[in-house]
Amino acid sequence: MIGSEARYDTDVTHRATLSRLRSLMILAQLMLESSTELQIIQLAVGAARSLAPCTRVHAELDRDLVPTGEATASPLGVLDVAPGPTTDDGAPGRWAYPLHSGYGHVGWLIATCDTAPEEEEHFLLRSLAQHAGVALVNLRLHEQQRAAMAEAERVNTRLHETLEALRRSMDVHARLTAVAASGQGRQGIAAAVHELTGLPVAVEDGFGNLRAWAGPDRPDPYPKDSEADREELLRRALREGRPVRAGDRWIGVSRPQQDVTGALVLFDPEGVATAHQLTALEHGLTILAMELARLRSLAESELRVRRDLVEELLSGTDEDSALRRAQALRYDLERPHRVVVVEGHDRDHDDEAFLHGVRRAARDEPVGSLLIRRGAQVVVLADHDADWEQFRTAILDEVRGGRCRLGVGNRYQTIAGIPRSLREAEVALRVQDAASTDGLATCYEALGVYQLLAEVRDPAATEAFGRAWLQPLLDYDEQRNADLVLTLSRYLDHGGNYDASAGALFIHRSTLKYRLHRIREISGYDLSEPDTRFNLQLACRVWTTLNALRRDVDDAGRAPEPAVPEGRVPGRTSPPQVMGASGRGP
Amino acid sequence: MGTTLATGLPGVSMNVSDHICAFYRGVDERDEVLLPYLRAGLRAGDKCVCVLDSTDPDVLRGELVDESRVEDDQLSAFRSEDSYLLHGRFAPDDMIEFWESAAQRAFAVHDYTLVRAVGEMTWALRDLPGVELLVAYEAELNRQLHKYPQVLLCLYDLEQFTDGEALMEILRTHPQVLMSRMLLANPWYIDPDDLLAQPT
Repeated sequence: MIGSEARYDTDVTHRATLSRLRSLMILAQLMLESSTELQIIQLAVGAARSLAPCTRVHAELDRDLVPTGEATASPLGVLDVAPGPTTDDGAPGRWAYPLHSGYGHVGWLIATCDTAPEEEEHFLLRSLAQHAGVALVNLRLHEQQRAAMAEAERVNTRLHETLEALRRSMDVHARLTAVAASGQGRQGIAAAVHELTGLPVAVEDGFGNLRAWAGPDRPDPYPKDSEADREELLRRALREGRPVRAGDRWIGVSRPQQDVTGALVLFDPEGVATAHQLTALEHGLTILAMELARLRSLAESELRVRRDLVEELLSGTDEDSALRRAQALRYDLERPHRVVVVEGHDRDHDDEAFLHGVRRAARDEPVGSLLIRRGAQVVVLADHDADWEQFRTAILDEVRGGRCRLGVGNRYQTIAGIPRSLREAEVALRVQDAASTDGLATCYEALGVYQLLAEVRDPAATEAFGRAWLQPLLDYDEQRNADLVLTLSRYLDHGGNYDASAGALFIHRSTLKYRLHRIREISGYDLSEPDTRFNLQLACRVWTTLNALRRDVDDAGRAPEPAVPEGRVPGRTSPPQVMGASGRGP
Repeated sequence: MGTTLATGLPGVSMNVSDHICAFYRGVDERDEVLLPYLRAGLRAGDKCVCVLDSTDPDVLRGELVDESRVEDDQLSAFRSEDSYLLHGRFAPDDMIEFWESAAQRAFAVHDYTLVRAVGEMTWALRDLPGVELLVAYEAELNRQLHKYPQVLLCLYDLEQFTDGEALMEILRTHPQVLMSRMLLANPWYIDPDDLLAQPT
């Protein structure tokens, strides 16, 4: 019986131990499944009270996981628990059990008991602490791993985003570069940016005029800012150095050199444009700047070629060569042309502005598109005829006031006649005053006798004729700095009318009478005699024409004689011819 | 009865009148226990009663539509608001009555021989009247389970039941623990008479 009782007691003890071990196993599993450190500690603390006669159980955790092998001091001054209380003053004993696993140490489980735990209870508490330690270390490792994975995922996401942005940027670049290379111009750029952004796109010139559009809902008319608003917007865009928001659109400006030559506009009324879309706009702007620089360079080159062509046509050039270059400029030279010489200035004496004014007027009238500036004059190669006084007025309108005179040469079928037309235009301009034509636009073909005189093959003969009749008066004018020849010319041109003559000379009637008196005295001519009057008038016109031609020759650098004012005698070395005193002529 | 029942988990079986506490982490792990448990019951011809808290019952019905006998009302699924928390509070007696009437109906109307019940317990974490009676309710269930042939699985999500002390209390009310696909006799279990006799 005793033996069987003993076996029974042993069995009961073993079953109890087994039950406790099973408890530990379940708890260990539960702690391993736990999601927080507090949860694990609470389970361990709750279980410890059931496993040993503890009055209080708590845990002290290290902030960081301490690697295995690095000694961590127990809060109770011992590295591990030893049977027996840790205090000697009779106070309740405390035992510390390490919370650790093979990967490291995380703290201590501390049990406070009134009586020392049995050996088996120590074993259970140590096991419990060990399981809790494994669960805690696992959790920390798991969290570290999760944090590392999250960080890796963040890095991966950033990398992916960067790659995606790079890929999109490359796509944009490739698409726009293809547009630039294909020469599709501004329309192609607008279409490409629209395709890349899905938003309507406009290309504007520097003034805000629409030059190209891509996308739906094209506004008609296209909205245009006031000059001041436009100026402010462009200034803001230049200052920011990137597209700026203005109303319902994003606008970026192109400035290949100093001037704003164009703008690329992304219409985005909802304000939903993404960074990618704005990047496409900026890339488009770069390509637009290149395109506008190319167009400007092309225009400047064309202008240079045109200028050279006009210069050569005016001075006489090889016809075949000129025709080839004109064809390259898509200009038809095989049409009749005449030369118009424009002389004058705007209010500010701005030669460049005057040239552009003439260019616009010549384009609008229309007169022609080939023109150059030569010194103070602008020479137009006219392929259309026009009302030349109206053309002159149009020039003044374009330059907003100033002064303008025209000389118009004859029209010639071939370019070989252009140098001659130039000379005629210049003569027409020179003799404009003398010819007393209406207005300040003078056609060579309307010069009358001046035209005849200008075309005389032997100027010496006509000069001799003029000197024969006018030499005393010319000498007097030269010595006294007087205007007797001019006075005589105007008097005769106005048929002897005192008032008209004085008005044309801007002198008083009495002054005119005095001058005529001196003319009669010096020359000895009877101005009432018709034959004398005719010859004197012809001589005056000869002299005016010669003056004009001589100045023209001087300007061309082909004669050394200085120009003289109209009506004055050009300096001559030959002695003046003596006039007949009879008044009937030399 | 002594009959072994399939839990739906490979190599894991249970017995009639078992009151099992299943610990898991997250909905995915819950379904790894819940769905095999119910499928095994449906295939065995058991009446299945399920109360869900974090998933719409229709989702569950959809998952099991091919395996349940609709005409026999084999699968009954409820929301926690319509069972545990009816009227916005937890009343242990009402809930025990809920399970009992479900079992009576299954046996009386449809001639089922076993009721397989399961409840998702996260409702107990809400700040509502009566939820503090959870442990007493779980303990009391142990007395009631023997009235009819039935098994009851209580689902506890360790990601939400983070209070270790509360978990220890829950452990003490379930004779069986299902964790990591292992069903273990629970040494922490305390007889309901002893547990309910302890001062709170």
